[in-house]
Amino acid sequence: MSSKRKSDGLNRRDFIAGATGAGLAATSLTKPEEGLAQQADEALVSAVPPSASAMAMEGDLPAGYRAEEAAEYFVERPGSDFMVDVIKSLNLEYITTNPGSSFRGIHESIVNYGGNSQPELLTCPHEEQAVAIAHGFAKVSGKPIGVLCHGTVGLQHAAMAVYNAWCDRVPMVILGGNHLDVTHRRTGAEWSHSAQDAARVLRDYIKWDDTPMSLQHYSESMARAYKIATTPPMGPVAVMLDGHLQEQGMTGTSPTIARMAPTRPPRGDAGAVAEAARWLVEAESPVIVADLMAHDQRGVEDLVALAEALQAPVVNQFGRMNFPNTHYLSQGTGIVSQADVILGLELFDTWGIVNQLRDRVHKDVVRRARPDARVIDIGVKDLFMRSNYQSFQRFNPSDLSIAGDAQATLPSLLEEVERQLTRSRRAGNADRERRWRDAHARTRRSWIDAARYAWDAKPISTGRLYAELFQLIKDRDWALVSDDNRQTRWARKLWPLERTYQWLGRSGGSGLGYGAPASVGGALAHRGTGRLPVAIQTDGDFLYVPGVFWTAAHHQIPLLSIVHNNRGYHQEFMHLQRMAARRQRGADGSSHVGNELNHPAPDLAMITRGMGVWSEGPITEPGELRGAIQRALDVVDQGEPALIDVVSQPR
Amino acid sequence: MKTTLPSLVAVASLITVPLLSAQDHGDVATGQQLFNDFQCWQCHGYEGQGGAAPRIAPTAYPFEAFERLVRHTNIMPAYSPNVLSDAQLRQIYAFVQSRPEPPAVEDIPALRDY
Repeated sequence: MSSKRKSDGLNRRDFIAGATGAGLAATSLTKPEEGLAQQADEALVSAVPPSASAMAMEGDLPAGYRAEEAAEYFVERPGSDFMVDVIKSLNLEYITTNPGSSFRGIHESIVNYGGNSQPELLTCPHEEQAVAIAHGFAKVSGKPIGVLCHGTVGLQHAAMAVYNAWCDRVPMVILGGNHLDVTHRRTGAEWSHSAQDAARVLRDYIKWDDTPMSLQHYSESMARAYKIATTPPMGPVAVMLDGHLQEQGMTGTSPTIARMAPTRPPRGDAGAVAEAARWLVEAESPVIVADLMAHDQRGVEDLVALAEALQAPVVNQFGRMNFPNTHYLSQGTGIVSQADVILGLELFDTWGIVNQLRDRVHKDVVRRARPDARVIDIGVKDLFMRSNYQSFQRFNPSDLSIAGDAQATLPSLLEEVERQLTRSRRAGNADRERRWRDAHARTRRSWIDAARYAWDAKPISTGRLYAELFQLIKDRDWALVSDDNRQTRWARKLWPLERTYQWLGRSGGSGLGYGAPASVGGALAHRGTGRLPVAIQTDGDFLYVPGVFWTAAHHQIPLLSIVHNNRGYHQEFMHLQRMAARRQRGADGSSHVGNELNHPAPDLAMITRGMGVWSEGPITEPGELRGAIQRALDVVDQGEPALIDVVSQPR
Repeated sequence: MKTTLPSLVAVASLITVPLLSAQDHGDVATGQQLFNDFQCWQCHGYEGQGGAAPRIAPTAYPFEAFERLVRHTNIMPAYSPNVLSDAQLRQIYAFVQSRPEPPAVEDIPALRDY
């Protein structure tokens, strides 16, 4: 026989009911004393009836236990259940993680209290891939997910990938387990895994962090963290979860879920925007350069409208998919040299657009822009900064800097441009349009022509790789969940990139270990949309985090990965060769030392096959490429990942 | 008079690939080996088709232009005769010059539909 266990708060059924209705609104899980009974009754009506075992474990004393014993052995209303409710209220769809005891409390709550749904845990064999999956997911979906890291060791494993996300201005919520109170730490590893200030290892390259000391503190910090992460300039944030706070039952006044309303992005000052419009309208040859700008398709559409109004060419730096490469105003970086006014939109490196530093023995700077060119810089980079890591690039003395999210500022800039455009200025647009259409068509023909060189070569040319793949997916709703910078930028040259989701882009910090997991994260965001995610994966990056392919197989994330396998860290080959040539020595065959991934050549298809992924390769014959891609696509169409290893030309 | 790179390239584009003698064929084979050993392919591709650096084959630069590009322009790392002899450079040149014209776009199904 069991008796009702006394509690200083609500039992689990009440707790679930209160949390379920929380949503984005502030919800008190206990009302003031006088309303407690009524609240409990309402909760009982709305709650899903618990199972018999749950009743026995949570509502009542387990059979055969005295109250004192039960209090020693069991926990009701663990703090981490509330932590899960907060995560649900923020709609963090997934949490990527490598398991660890510092967060065993919330791990259990996510699984058994939260039902492993919204958030769903994604198992990752390394925190670096856990973070990069979140990175790729956010770039496709526009939404952050969580990353759960195990104390000092997990956060240090995660650090490199967090740096990439920081440089790339991508939001994510990092949760780190930690044990602050020494009296609660188990001896041994739990000490090694704990820190006074656990988030410190990340603090140079995250926007904000906190170490909550109570559940209410946690609730407010999570809401704050989410808002900060998703407000431009976006970036990673971290909240440490104290082990004791996770594992202990809640006592006293129950915490509330803090209301979270997203912060509107900052927009450029109206007067400055009008001034920028005047410069652009009066310019003879305005050029627009966009980098980390488009958050979604609206940004692309507004930029197209602005470019067409001015008949100004757009140079897409491809930090995001900002402008359709099929549009006749899409032009190459060289066009900057003709500009009298340059409009920069969320430029990662304004100085590098205006100038060029040549990698010679004596570094010299060549100004790419005209001496009289004026630069307008619209973006958020001046709004938030860290000083240690130098990702902010060289200072550029722009003539008009406007602090504000560029996409959010575009509508007002477009309105001003339309208002200020004179009849004579508009009259000149037809001639401009003709000129840019001709230039765009010429460039496009030259790129297609360039792809035929080495068409039948072995190793397989990267141009052929992209062309053959595209022929097989062009009638599908495809999305490229990788960058093409290491493959002569063939996607930008050959594929029609028009939608923001079709392009994942670079890592941000250029740290290896991003490509494979970010493509899995991107594919995860595409899952269920009917889109076909494809990635061209480099071999060097592959070997950093091959375990991510197991994650893709385990969680059934459809993705076609094709390895551009040049058997080495190709960029570094070139650097070593450059150094040797400068020093007039060792040029004959020495640059493979420290750079090659050969002798023996890693069998990448065998590695991923071992991870449970359908794989084929190494493909060495150009004529075998198309068939291999088709077979892999058939697998992806069944909802599974597939990989082809293609031995390729270096770029 | 100092010759500028664009003018050299312009001249080069007008020159057709000559027929190869037996001696030339020997140079081509050795040149390919040197092309590989000196890692020219890292930037220019195994066929000289370009990649991180511009395409250098099968367009036939006059040797003087080729030599200037390799040794003196400071556009690519300068390979001095201390590292790469004149004879070796000529053999690499023979290889680059020998690369066949690729199929036309119209003859490549994956490209002609663009």
